[in-house]
Amino acid sequence: MTSGGSADKPGMADLALSLAGGEPRPARAVVRKLARHLARILVVVLLGGFLGATLVRVAPGYGVDSEELDSRLSAESLRAARRAAAPQEGLFPFYLHFCERLLHGDLGESRLLHMPVRQLVAERFPETAKSVGLGLALAWTAGLGLATAAVMTAGGVDLLAGLLASVLVCIPAAVLALLFIMVQAPARLAIGLILFPKVFQFARNLLADAAARPHVLAARARGAAGVGVFLRHVLPVAGPQLLALGGISVSMAFAAAIPVEALCDLPGIGQLAWQAAMGRDLALLVDLTMIVTLLTLLANSAADLAGLGRP
Amino acid sequence: MKRWILCLGLIFATVSTRCAGAQPGSELRFCIPSDPRTWNPLLVEDDASETIRYLTGGVLVRLNRQTQQLEPELATAWKVSRAGNAISFTLRRNVRFSDGSAFTARDVAYTIAQLMDPALHSPTGDAFRAAPGKVITRIADPYQITILFPAPVVGLAKLFDQVAILSATSPEHERAVLGPYQLADYRGGSFVLLRRNPNYWKHDSAGRPLPYIQSVRLDIEQNRDIELLRLLRGEIDLIGSLSPESYDRLSAKAPGMAVDAGVSLDSEQMWFNQAPSAPIAEYKKAWFRSTNFRRAVSESIHRDDIIRIVFHGHARPAVSWISPANRAWFDSKLAPHAFDRSEALRLLAHDGFTLVNGVLHDRAGHAVEFSLVTNAGNTPRERMAAMIQQDLAAIGIRVHVVTLDFSSLIERITRSLNYEACLLGLVNDDLDPNAQMNVWLSSGENHQWNPGEKKPATAWEAEIDRLMRAQAASLDAKKRKQDVDRVQEIVWKQEPFIYLVDKDALMAVSPNLHNVSPVALRPQVYWNIDWLWLSNSGSRRP
Repeated sequence: MTSGGSADKPGMADLALSLAGGEPRPARAVVRKLARHLARILVVVLLGGFLGATLVRVAPGYGVDSEELDSRLSAESLRAARRAAAPQEGLFPFYLHFCERLLHGDLGESRLLHMPVRQLVAERFPETAKSVGLGLALAWTAGLGLATAAVMTAGGVDLLAGLLASVLVCIPAAVLALLFIMVQAPARLAIGLILFPKVFQFARNLLADAAARPHVLAARARGAAGVGVFLRHVLPVAGPQLLALGGISVSMAFAAAIPVEALCDLPGIGQLAWQAAMGRDLALLVDLTMIVTLLTLLANSAADLAGLGRP
Repeated sequence: MKRWILCLGLIFATVSTRCAGAQPGSELRFCIPSDPRTWNPLLVEDDASETIRYLTGGVLVRLNRQTQQLEPELATAWKVSRAGNAISFTLRRNVRFSDGSAFTARDVAYTIAQLMDPALHSPTGDAFRAAPGKVITRIADPYQITILFPAPVVGLAKLFDQVAILSATSPEHERAVLGPYQLADYRGGSFVLLRRNPNYWKHDSAGRPLPYIQSVRLDIEQNRDIELLRLLRGEIDLIGSLSPESYDRLSAKAPGMAVDAGVSLDSEQMWFNQAPSAPIAEYKKAWFRSTNFRRAVSESIHRDDIIRIVFHGHARPAVSWISPANRAWFDSKLAPHAFDRSEALRLLAHDGFTLVNGVLHDRAGHAVEFSLVTNAGNTPRERMAAMIQQDLAAIGIRVHVVTLDFSSLIERITRSLNYEACLLGLVNDDLDPNAQMNVWLSSGENHQWNPGEKKPATAWEAEIDRLMRAQAASLDAKKRKQDVDRVQEIVWKQEPFIYLVDKDALMAVSPNLHNVSPVALRPQVYWNIDWLWLSNSGSRRP
């Protein structure tokens, strides 16, 4: 083992890997992997932003404003409104200036809401974080709980939970969100139900796979307690994959938050993204594209890194 | 397992109870469709900002939405000069802004200077701009001011209904207001909270301060179905504008809450693209420029069916560009275009069109077909387009309905002009026809069927130009009415816009809200906000 300075004294990464059930790896390799991930995140976020900017710029309706139909406006004001809405510079210069401003922490101003994007994101992000957090908590509590019950008990729970997951996976996210409004339940819980089938199905398969290993079957055959076998021999085997699933479920939750917030008028970044798209708000859309891309990549990378310990 | 289910149930119930809002205190609640785009009352253009301006802004004179007459507010008296280019106001004394600063003529002068600043591009200010030149204000004393315009401005006094007076001295700038409410809180995408202005000058006959309602909470809600659901649950007290479907649904569930205040100022119309630069086939432009073609299309559309099926009876066949709700300017001599397919075919035959095997062809043998664009997501409009398609199929015209999102639609009708026909509704808040100069002058950018003409393309457009300019320059109300009537007649005959229906003003009002007198003009329900009160919220009955 040649892990440099960390050979005798394991670092946090090694410790994390140990906890994840894998063998400790050289710290340098972990650092290299982290650096690769960060570089990839940076490149993809920048590309995502550029792609977002390109799509908005070429979208029909970019550079026009409903204000133009206001018959009260004089010809001069109308021209001024058109000038203000029209692109001030080409796509590449715009994006270069945009990135330059971004480096200084300036996210630009929303043309639609006449507010700094930074302020809008700061106001709206906690709402989305709340929705995503609540949705993840519900999906994981119900999904992992039912998956565990399905693996630990006889076929009834498995059948019912599987049926529920199948039904939920068939219902479009928008319909689920509207159902929550109809029954006066918080619409953000819909995110939980959108995620539940995925979490349940994956978790159930992983746990069932781990529970079918020969040593687990042998332990059970010898009369070992079910909970003890599950905690000592099933969960640790499925653990790294479940962690990976956790990372992916974060990005799925953000994806689900956009239609739910837009439909249910929850004032989060999902609703903001919808408004920005409808109003062709370039700065706002590019910023939101980059933020959502960043969050998705971070979640995926976290999942990837968590899976380093897999055999 | 049972424990798990119980825990989940408890979490769900707890969160549900916390979020199903209860209505506290004397607070009026209703929804606005979006975040306000501006807090500056001089730059208002969207509905949400307009609502806030109406509730917070103090104006010199107010148009009574019921009588359609001007009433004194911050000005106790006013007088327009004989030449029509000046107006003198006598201001109310002992009035204070919400921040405590005194209201004087200086504030009016400051507001006018801001409003008429050419760099501001205020839609409100543009209504005052009859000719280039500087606007001068003369302050005789702290309560007397005269405003001089470079040219006569028709309907001058009424325009001040839209001008919220700003404070010249307050460090709070536009947050210092003279209206019944002031901004208390705002959470982006969620709500705007207005609280009663403690310095509001109005009192009732018993000396009690107005408005009666302590606060107004404006929830930002784009989804109209959710808005209706919230009304039925008692979470909001009114809806200013209902769709016909929502009106019927509400009438079935809570008949006392649905209100039809009669015909509104809003119309639905279609028009053909006649612009020479439009990227469409020349032979199609020739059809669209033909008065007979346009009239034939108009007479083939069964407006009564549209009203019955699309608007559930809550609309009238449209006659003119001025709605019958505009009592002063509507030309009552005009009658709706009759539904008459044989007359339509006769008009088409006159232009050389022939009907062969159920398909209409022009002289050159081109089958008559065109696309009709409209905005996606507006269900009544989409249904209207489908009905027009069906009606015109009966005279051999094939219509392709194309729905576009609003931004794309605006781009097509204002920039690329890449469309053949458009179905759209115009919202009109101003009673004076002068507010529509940009639509009717052939050089206007909002002259939708052929925007920005260098010179009038037709004799009748030249005549409209002449009449509109004459009415804009005249201070003789009778002469103005004659000119505007004549324009309405020309438009009725030529049909550059094919007016289809004038929609009714449909709204919903909770039975807990009192002193409500719904009207067709905006804001239909709360135009007399000072006098409204809520019965279930602890506010004293006046």
